[in-house]
Amino acid sequence: MRMKAVILAAGPAERLRPFTETRAKPMIRVAGTTILEYMMEALRGAGISDILIVVNHMRESIESHFGHGHDLGLSIDYVIQDPLNGIGAALRCCEAELGDEPFLLLYGDILATNFPFNRLQEQFQESGRAVAAVTLPASSADFGNVYLDHDMRIVGLVEKPKDRHLSNHVFAGIFLLPPSIFSLLQKVGNDIEQLYQALIGKGALYGNLWDGGWIDIRRPWHILEANRLMMDDWTNSRIHHSVRMEGPVHMEGPLHIEEEVVIGAGSVLKGPCFIGRGSYIGNNTLIREYTSLGPGSTIGYGTELKNCVLFGRSILGRLSYIGDSVIGERVHLGTGVATVNLREDNAEIVMESEEGQLSSGMRKLGAFIGDDVSIGARNVLAPGTRIRARYQVDDLITLRTVL
Amino acid sequence: MCGISAVIGNENVVDTLYESIRNLEYRGYDSCGLSMIRDDRIEVRKNTGGVEEVNLKEHLTAMRGCIGIAHTRWATHGKVTAANAHPHLSFDNRFSIVHNGIINNFRCLREELQDGGVTFASETDTEVLVHLIAIAYAKLGDVEEAFLSAIRRLEGSYAAAMITSVDSSRIYAVKMGSPLVLGLNQGMNFIASDFNAFLPYTKTAMVMEDGEYAVVTVDQAKLCKAVDRSEVIRDPIHIEWDPERSRKGGYSHYMLKEIFDQPHTIKSALTIPNDDILQLAKSIQGAGTTYLMGVGTTYYVALAGQYFFSRLAGRYLPAVSSDEFNDLAVIGADDLLISISQSGETYDTNTGVRHARAQHAKTAGIVNVMGSSLSMMVDQVILQGSGPEICVVSTKAALAQMVILLLVALELGRLNGKIDTQTYETYHESITDFPPLVQKILNEISGFVRNLADRTAHYKNWMFLGRGVYYPIALEAALKMKEVTYLHAEGMPAGFLKHGTLAMVDDEMISLFFLPPPARKTLHEQTLAAVEEVKARNGPVIGFCFEDDLLAKKALDHWIELPVVAEPVPPFLELIVAQLFSYFSALKLGRSIDKPRNLAKSVTVG
Repeated sequence: MRMKAVILAAGPAERLRPFTETRAKPMIRVAGTTILEYMMEALRGAGISDILIVVNHMRESIESHFGHGHDLGLSIDYVIQDPLNGIGAALRCCEAELGDEPFLLLYGDILATNFPFNRLQEQFQESGRAVAAVTLPASSADFGNVYLDHDMRIVGLVEKPKDRHLSNHVFAGIFLLPPSIFSLLQKVGNDIEQLYQALIGKGALYGNLWDGGWIDIRRPWHILEANRLMMDDWTNSRIHHSVRMEGPVHMEGPLHIEEEVVIGAGSVLKGPCFIGRGSYIGNNTLIREYTSLGPGSTIGYGTELKNCVLFGRSILGRLSYIGDSVIGERVHLGTGVATVNLREDNAEIVMESEEGQLSSGMRKLGAFIGDDVSIGARNVLAPGTRIRARYQVDDLITLRTVL
Repeated sequence: MCGISAVIGNENVVDTLYESIRNLEYRGYDSCGLSMIRDDRIEVRKNTGGVEEVNLKEHLTAMRGCIGIAHTRWATHGKVTAANAHPHLSFDNRFSIVHNGIINNFRCLREELQDGGVTFASETDTEVLVHLIAIAYAKLGDVEEAFLSAIRRLEGSYAAAMITSVDSSRIYAVKMGSPLVLGLNQGMNFIASDFNAFLPYTKTAMVMEDGEYAVVTVDQAKLCKAVDRSEVIRDPIHIEWDPERSRKGGYSHYMLKEIFDQPHTIKSALTIPNDDILQLAKSIQGAGTTYLMGVGTTYYVALAGQYFFSRLAGRYLPAVSSDEFNDLAVIGADDLLISISQSGETYDTNTGVRHARAQHAKTAGIVNVMGSSLSMMVDQVILQGSGPEICVVSTKAALAQMVILLLVALELGRLNGKIDTQTYETYHESITDFPPLVQKILNEISGFVRNLADRTAHYKNWMFLGRGVYYPIALEAALKMKEVTYLHAEGMPAGFLKHGTLAMVDDEMISLFFLPPPARKTLHEQTLAAVEEVKARNGPVIGFCFEDDLLAKKALDHWIELPVVAEPVPPFLELIVAQLFSYFSALKLGRSIDKPRNLAKSVTVG
């Protein structure tokens, strides 16, 4: 079935700051690849090559990276949503482009180990009715909880249940919709939730159950969860023949190492880990499980990394420790910078934000550092620290010249 | 649900037609048949049984013809007989038809035709249609006109396909309410209830809509509106999917689909005529000893029944596993054997029934498959109407059987004065309110059950413990767990544990408790005592309990809490949660859920 896919990527995603200060949300990179690229690969695999991306916030981060998608064998068009007034309105921006065809709708912040596009297409073809992928996350509290009938018809939707103790299936952010929804959408004032409710009211929305890995990336620490989700799906190692090891290197677990990577003698790599093209790993470094180093990373001598995501082109000074952290692009950490990822009292780590204090639900959480930040030598970062893009922190020097 | 299929080609299409109906067998399999045109004559072969079985009896694949229709049936009303099997033939032998759906006004049409001198060969609603067409053709002399004038007289839902010896180059089909799709290929075209029929042959298809009819030749498919014969232009679609997957309709496994189907199966069990229930209760009342018999899951259904009868009707009905029945049961002419089987073809159970019949005992059966050996063999049969169950592991059929036994126990309790009318009615009400509640609960707890299963799936050894009626529930739940996860799961009465088995308990053996509502005070206390026994030996303890059960929540490491429901449904609710728990455990472990290793749907060997 020929159909177009719409990817929603316009929003400012303030909750994912500092990383979304400088990029559109789906340009966040986990396990070496951007969210958008995972989606596009999967769409191409499902035979969908016409892609419409709704953009606004930091649109050049997407457009300059993907262009019209010819390298990927895709045809990508961009629709600018301005002002940013909701998902329903974003969809309406695409109405003319979509014409009279059913289309696949993807929210720009979801990641699945294996996007179920074909299954939705099959169900749609057979029934001719709108289909929503539904899934069971570890906690349903932040999502629209759906009620399914025995034949997968969605008969109810409770948005973000407050006092009720529910653990229903939830919308997975992937829909296959017929063009007829546009007139309905207009009737409900372009409110997407009301559109879903209207479809449910008419008995015209069906579920397709997705029981594979799935995550909605809403908060900074979800980047680490997403990274883990994608890496857990790896079954083997892929090490490019151009990788150079300058002496004995210990390797275990699945490792994806791209071209031109140089690894210094005495280093230990415990997979799953990703090391992007052209990275340099200094001597005696320890790279532990679920570390993802974007292209062009430089890791100094004796540094330890564990469960962290570096988007790329960052320089980590010697003898540092980075754990349970996310680091943007072109970050510079001086010698001996350490993240503290565990509170002494072992309590849950709370993150400061514009909306107040956020419980992360995690006992181990390090720092979240935006693009182009520079942190001087010997700094220690408290659990749950966030540092905005381009911020500069001096060296932590306790002793100055003594005469 | 039935499946229909039609094929037209340039050469003999019998193998294709046969294959297409085999692919629809999941829609029903109690009888089937084929009609083909050879040398301008219609030949019909049909009989009772699954498609392969009928082929053995009737040599379907030895038929010949370039055009044919086929049907596989799942009887809901009307007996399973060769005469009632489709296709049906008109009185003049010139038209043959297959049909899926229900013609609501068939009785008056039938009378009208009979008054006109037509003799009917079957009891089906379908047969009126084929005679109507023959009569209309005699009047109008045009097949398409005759077909349309006949279907315009029908009320109800139907999908039908027809061939005629008057014109062996066309298949006629109509859709109203029941599904129908066209499959298009070079030199061969198809009509079927769903894509599965022809997916091995073509991926190009057209979905028919209500009120449309189709005239299909070997190289063309014309789609028109029945109301005014105006032609409908519709682009064919290309199907790209795995046929197996499409039948699951959005679910990833039949097991989950069937668990979610349980509100329906309970409803179907509740629509069994009360006369049938009453008659069985009376048979029990009049009998010396009544045995309940089943094997595997159905033995546990029988065990649950044993508790219902003793508590509600004051009668002890021994439950015996079918394979042990001949060695154990003392049965004579005064006695009654109630056997329980989903397929009605279980060798061990049918052997037990034969044994009882040889002793001149009365026999009754609770069966899902109409027309099965068991349903034909027993004196009284209750058809549970749960629809086809495809997952090898039984969920919905077993629950329906338990509900039916409960209904019989209630009836018997009222007959012999063990329960008053008030209790009888409250219990009935509670069961009637159960189906929508199940739907709601399945939705609202799925995530909790999955989280619990994810958390505990690494345990290799399991104890499933309950007391009273929760003991057979624990047994059945443990069997589900064994079947889908291949883990060691032992069901046991919670009170029995301390008499030996407790020796095995350590921090690597997890116990799952089925807690009764706190209102069942003694039972509840006794079950909690067993929880403490396990905890004292460092055994992990998890359980299913009700919202108001503060003590259980204090005692258990993890639990699934259920809304408070009135008797007699709490044990049923816990069984449903246990099914879901086994499902998610198997999912976490990556097991072959719908077809577990070493198992088959119906065990027809001894």
